[in-house]
Amino acid sequence: MESPQTHHLQTSADEKRQQITTFPAPKTGKISLVVAPKTVVESMMSMLSTLALRGHVIVIDGGNRFDGYALARALRRRTHQVQPALKQVLLSRAFTCYQMVAVLAELPADGTPVVVLDMLSTFLDENVNLNKRKRLLDTSLNLLRRISEAAPVAVWARTHSTVGDEDRQLLISLLEAAQDVWELQAPEAPAHQPPLF
Amino acid sequence: MPEFTGWLLDLFEDPHEGLILYFIDEAGARRRLHQPFPVTFHALGTNAELRALWQHLNSRPREIALSRAQQTDVFKRRKLTTLAVTVHNPYEAGRVFHQTASQFPKLEYANADLQISLRFAAQTGAFPLCRCRAAENEDHQLIEIEVLEDAWQLKPDPIPLRILSLSPDVAPHHARPRRLNIGLEGEDYQFDLGAWRPLLVNLRALIQRYDPDLILTDWGDTWLLPLLLKQSEAYHIPLGLNREAGRGVSWLDERTYFSYGQIVYRGQQVHLFGRCHIDRQNAMLWKDCQLDGTLETCRVTALPLQTSSRVSPGTGISSIEMLTALREGILVPWQKQQAEMLKPAADLFSADQGGLVYQPRIGVHKNVAEIDFVSLYPAIMVHFNISPETILPDPHKDNIVPALGLAIDTSQDGLIPKALRPLLEKRVELKMRLASIPTWNPVRKNFERRAAALKWLLVTCFGYLGYKNARFGRIEAHQAVTAYGREALLRAKEAAEDLGFEVIQLYVDGLWVKHPDRTQPRDIEPLLLEIQDRTGLPIALDGIYRWVVFVGSRQNKDRPVANRYFGVFQDGSIKVRGIDARRRDSTPFVSDAQMHLLELLAGVEDPEDALPETVAFLRERIGALRSRQVPLPDLLVRQRLGRKLEAYRTPSPAARAVLQLRAAGKEMRPGQRVPFLYTLGKPGVFAWDLPQKPNPRAVNVARYQKLLLRAAGIVLESWGLNEEKLTEQVLAASNQPRLPVPPRRHKSRHHRVESRAFNPAIEQTLKRHIR
Amino acid sequence: MGRTLPSATQLMHLEEAALARFRRALRRGDQLVFDDLFSAAQKHISAAAYAAHALPFETFLMSMLLEEHKEIMHLREIVKKLEEMHA
Repeated sequence: MESPQTHHLQTSADEKRQQITTFPAPKTGKISLVVAPKTVVESMMSMLSTLALRGHVIVIDGGNRFDGYALARALRRRTHQVQPALKQVLLSRAFTCYQMVAVLAELPADGTPVVVLDMLSTFLDENVNLNKRKRLLDTSLNLLRRISEAAPVAVWARTHSTVGDEDRQLLISLLEAAQDVWELQAPEAPAHQPPLF
Repeated sequence: MPEFTGWLLDLFEDPHEGLILYFIDEAGARRRLHQPFPVTFHALGTNAELRALWQHLNSRPREIALSRAQQTDVFKRRKLTTLAVTVHNPYEAGRVFHQTASQFPKLEYANADLQISLRFAAQTGAFPLCRCRAAENEDHQLIEIEVLEDAWQLKPDPIPLRILSLSPDVAPHHARPRRLNIGLEGEDYQFDLGAWRPLLVNLRALIQRYDPDLILTDWGDTWLLPLLLKQSEAYHIPLGLNREAGRGVSWLDERTYFSYGQIVYRGQQVHLFGRCHIDRQNAMLWKDCQLDGTLETCRVTALPLQTSSRVSPGTGISSIEMLTALREGILVPWQKQQAEMLKPAADLFSADQGGLVYQPRIGVHKNVAEIDFVSLYPAIMVHFNISPETILPDPHKDNIVPALGLAIDTSQDGLIPKALRPLLEKRVELKMRLASIPTWNPVRKNFERRAAALKWLLVTCFGYLGYKNARFGRIEAHQAVTAYGREALLRAKEAAEDLGFEVIQLYVDGLWVKHPDRTQPRDIEPLLLEIQDRTGLPIALDGIYRWVVFVGSRQNKDRPVANRYFGVFQDGSIKVRGIDARRRDSTPFVSDAQMHLLELLAGVEDPEDALPETVAFLRERIGALRSRQVPLPDLLVRQRLGRKLEAYRTPSPAARAVLQLRAAGKEMRPGQRVPFLYTLGKPGVFAWDLPQKPNPRAVNVARYQKLLLRAAGIVLESWGLNEEKLTEQVLAASNQPRLPVPPRRHKSRHHRVESRAFNPAIEQTLKRHIR
Repeated sequence: MGRTLPSATQLMHLEEAALARFRRALRRGDQLVFDDLFSAAQKHISAAAYAAHALPFETFLMSMLLEEHKEIMHLREIVKKLEEMHA
């Protein structure tokens, strides 16, 4: 197995609100992992729009992060045929770790690219025993590995300002399962408004 | 074999005798029976996995019996082969299951971790508090049980419960209670708390003599019973709270948890054996339901009384669903939840919506009929057969859910409609009967309370359908219900408009309509029939308002909101929503005054005629406030702490009150309501539960005055008396210095645009035409 | 409960915010007219929600146009009455 490569994403200078980053589209045979804060959603939707215009794409939302309107806007920038493209994106939202495992287990293995959003959120639910969650995460990762043999797989793990011990443990499992790892730092707010003259 | 007729009071597992059941004999005796009651849970997995489990469990044939079984998986819509694990001793079943689950974590499990009363009800039909006939043998073993009145009985034979009530003389978190009030059968006793020996001895004697079935307390869970038990141990005087000998009471810990962004607090609980303990302060919905409604909840959910009185309606609905599943041979999943089906993102936009809500026109409207669908969402679930297993992934031509790309399978009754139908029918029946029962009839209160209990269960079942942790939840079902709801409301609107009505307001399951010639209830009948025809759902006239006022939002008076209004029906009754009179955080001084203003307006044909009296009333109230004649409890504000104290940048009044309590050594938990007074100076609040008494002179009169005038303004504005005018008029009579006119609200977004120069002659004419 | 997409009201605020630069560069008087248009659109927010467009700004524009046309129809009525009176 190749050792995972970690890249730091270039961000094009743009408005504070919208950081456009260019993700390379995921490839078959490996799990591409993006580790980034929630500001990356807009870019993920942009990446999805590219995939949607090529054909079907499966999106598993593990943290209620899917932004349908951003996806529609991203598509509109490229085409007038927004509705047909939106129909190509097949979405399932997992609200618990059990649901995450269930949906991954039932995915069709037909080469359709799979994108998982905010993979770890449902595994942070403290109402479920940590060992159980770890086990379920391992099951999910095994399922993803199998899927990646036949289809491109991209996973986004969301980082946030407060990182607990559990977050770290779960993230490590995810890092070990991925082959390509892309890391995006949170955009830094300017300390003061630069003077006009 | 001796038989008796009576009611099942309580049932629970015993380490040696299986299931213990306590009955109230209609002849007056209390009976304790037992019955062997093996408990079965199911394991699911591959043949190899199940074989491994079989081998592991097969080593204890006396405790555990194993067999193959065929059970229906409701989501897969077919029967599955399971390994049925039957534990002979119900007391051990939980332990055996959890051990098995931790040793074989890869397997799925079902019918595990269920309340024993549900299992018993599924097997025998007998639910807690049911009227039944039981046959026992010489050994007091229950041989046979036959239910005489099912849970859907409209007028069940009242259970002759012997009730003992225990109450401290004052709320323990507010001040130190000095006395314990004991009530039974019309007799009242009082004992000094602190004189423990006589108290304990007498209490024990009373319990022994009276042998109550139900101990009804205030703060029994969180304060009284733990204290009594502690003292009972210290003084070596056992109280005999349990009927069941040899058992301590059952303790459940307190919990604070997050539920959809809200902090929920559950106090600790004390459960008894053979007897029931209900803590009125810890019982869900006691205010609406009282004992009648609580008993009703117990019967329809088949949960033991002590459990059903404390759990949320969500748990109640879940129990009803699980009971239905058990009866039908449908597996109750232990942890597995159904994932959402893969669907095109294009569908999410129309699926991910709530109910339809219009922005009403702010102000007063006359002769408006309010018509509401009866329990819309449950009715939709039952009528359209919406259940987790009836949603089809590949929509066929018929039974397509509007705009959702899903179809419903109507070939068989779904689990949820089966579970809800009797509940819905009973509620509708109670409501209909209520319409004809006069107010003086005592049966009315009983019906109202039971209808309230059923209403709460029904209101919750829709939310439960989409709840991520629900056993029988499925988000598509939830979406289908709201889609049908929107469709029904739109068809109702169309029917109204087709019949010449103007639609003033739409709100999820109801509409407000008006027609210049249709101002009597009988005029609305044709519309109701038309709507029923077009939607298939029952709809009723709530009433016709003489007038109704839609109020703007709290933050911006000019922005219309759907849920703030008040009005007077033709029969003189008042309906209020969303404003101070109905808000739980507003102070009684203000909400009572606002309510009184509404009553004054309701008492006359034309509200304008009541205005002078309203001003006089407000003057009197302000006078009372200023001369400190308003009792301090009436000035209490009760706000909830929305988040943890540390999360506040600038502490809200409630947060400041909590800080005061903390400094005095009292902890208030997030999610609880903090009562406090507004005071002069800093910190501007005085927490009511502080040990010291508040200083009446420190009350911030100006603030309460403003709250009162603002609340009054909301009511009277439509007739010209807004807050500013009221402040002038009400305070004009007094000699006291005028308080500053309250600051302007946020400006409305409607700014007047610069008018172009007009011909003055035309401008005059225009002024006469433009409203 | 399982809601992923923002409400129509939130969407309208987002669209307004997206036009913040445009609004800023307008004359003050024109800014008030701009605000008026959004207030008008607010009146039909429930219809926009029900329409469930993937590109909701179109429905907001329709709402603004609806209110604008209502105003025109109302003014036409007045002008007609005035013409009749002055005939």
